[in-house]
Amino acid sequence: MNDYILETENLGLRYGAFAALGSVDLKIKRGSIHTVIGPNGAGKTTLFHCLTGERKPSSGSIQFAGHDVTHQAPHKRVAVGMSRSFQITSLFQNLSVRENLRLAAQGRDGLAALAFWYSENHRRQHSDKADEVIERIKLGAVADTYAGELSHGQQRVLEVGMALCSSPQMLLLDEPTSGMGVDDIPVMTQLISELGQDHTVMLIEHNMKLVMSISDRITVMHQGNILIEGEPEVVSGDERVKKAYLGESGS
Amino acid sequence: MMKQKKSSLFGGVTLAALVTIIVMPLLLPSATLATEILIFAMAALACNLLLGYTGLLSFGQGIFFGGGAYVASICMIHWQFGLLEALLIAMLTGALLAGLVGALSIRRKGIYFVMLTLSFSQMAYFIAYSLSDWTGGDNGLLDIPRPPLMLLGFEVSDLVSSEAFYAFVGVLFMLIFVFARRVIHSPFGTTLVAIRENENRASAVGFSTNHFKLLAFVISGGITGIAGALYAMLLNFAPLSNIELQMSESILIMTIIGGTGSLFGSILGAGSIVLLGDILSSVWPRWMILLGIALIGVVLFMPSGLWGGVGSVADRWREYRRRKASAAKSSEVN
Repeated sequence: MNDYILETENLGLRYGAFAALGSVDLKIKRGSIHTVIGPNGAGKTTLFHCLTGERKPSSGSIQFAGHDVTHQAPHKRVAVGMSRSFQITSLFQNLSVRENLRLAAQGRDGLAALAFWYSENHRRQHSDKADEVIERIKLGAVADTYAGELSHGQQRVLEVGMALCSSPQMLLLDEPTSGMGVDDIPVMTQLISELGQDHTVMLIEHNMKLVMSISDRITVMHQGNILIEGEPEVVSGDERVKKAYLGESGS
Repeated sequence: MMKQKKSSLFGGVTLAALVTIIVMPLLLPSATLATEILIFAMAALACNLLLGYTGLLSFGQGIFFGGGAYVASICMIHWQFGLLEALLIAMLTGALLAGLVGALSIRRKGIYFVMLTLSFSQMAYFIAYSLSDWTGGDNGLLDIPRPPLMLLGFEVSDLVSSEAFYAFVGVLFMLIFVFARRVIHSPFGTTLVAIRENENRASAVGFSTNHFKLLAFVISGGITGIAGALYAMLLNFAPLSNIELQMSESILIMTIIGGTGSLFGSILGAGSIVLLGDILSSVWPRWMILLGIALIGVVLFMPSGLWGGVGSVADRWREYRRRKASAAKSSEVN
């Protein structure tokens, strides 16, 4: 079996003359926690959107677990085992936490969920999955609360939990700690490192402390291309990385 | 808590609907009026599937209503279709038209989607207007029969009396009501709510949202088509206004007034609009003005419709009872 679950080749996205993504060869090892960092405008989010299918790359290809997903629609990537969370919390606000998760689990069915002739309680597997994830993300106390009434930190956790419901091989997390308070960040750090034990996780993140403590590998992006890739110690000591963060003229 | 809410198909709201249907003809001056209410409740219920559960504001409901009415009537007049065959063909027509309108409209979102359904509605009107050999054009389609109800070769009822026709429509309504409850609490129905709540997320967790919206359209169109055919049988006449934009508006208004996202609300909405129209029009020829005022009142003061209003009054009553009880207790202590 291939060691890499996700491989991109020459992945690029141009808007006219501007290359948001130059030519990216990213390889993500099965079972690793792989973080993509970089200063603003480095192309992290563009890369992420190409991987989830929100943006169509203008060149290159994306291989995921033996499938060519380069031009696959976002919802179809769920069926092959890819799942994502959003940087800006995107939940079903007026539904309970449990129903949010149950729907997310149902999403893996794709078109089979068009069934309108039997009750949603008829087949238990989605509710069971929801309960399992509730336990895992420790939101049991608020399982029947509307998602919109949760605290911001809880919503961020639920956001990740939603991605978990489709039993994915790989989780793509877009800034999971975005907007979280200092007190909540350790909870998220703990959760992600736990998820890393049985999933491949790729994340974009700004919180360096979290990045350095949980990542197996780090890719640093700069101006649409990969600047350097390596283990946390290697990356944190690299001169070019410091330069990229401080700006070319920084001293 | 959520789980108990999703009660069985036949309990709760379904029971309330059944009681309403049984009591309605006893309270209203005529069975014909009651039948009209049920027919529009059917159309509003179908509209609710789109508006209340999927979040799609469709101005196309009149197309399916009028389309069902015309095709069923034409089949009965020219090819002597029986009652159930006519209703079946009306359902298929409504579903097919909704499939066409839906497939093209859902390619756009928000206001553009609404505009597309609006344009289709105008188009359907002019098609019906110009095909006057078939539809009777401006004069409407006259002399539409009301065939007897035949089951397995037996004539169950001739449906001539308005009471008999009401009973038939009532049974049909209950079947559709239970069907709609089943749809709402199915994997499909719960996914519709997910799309209403957050289409981006629904797509991200794996749902191909356009397929779901399209099926919602088809189901809604099928039910609306049946309602249209029943209306033609009730009046023995299919006016051009069946397929006018105003029909779509009326159905939407009934749905919103009754309360989106509640099936029983659709009965309340249709009932109150049809009744108000009936009462006010005998009082004052310009009754639409009064209806307008009533609508503004409901929208301003009962944002979740009549059904929501009933709920909040019930809540207040319980609150009042509780406070009274606790006041009595504290005075005892004193």
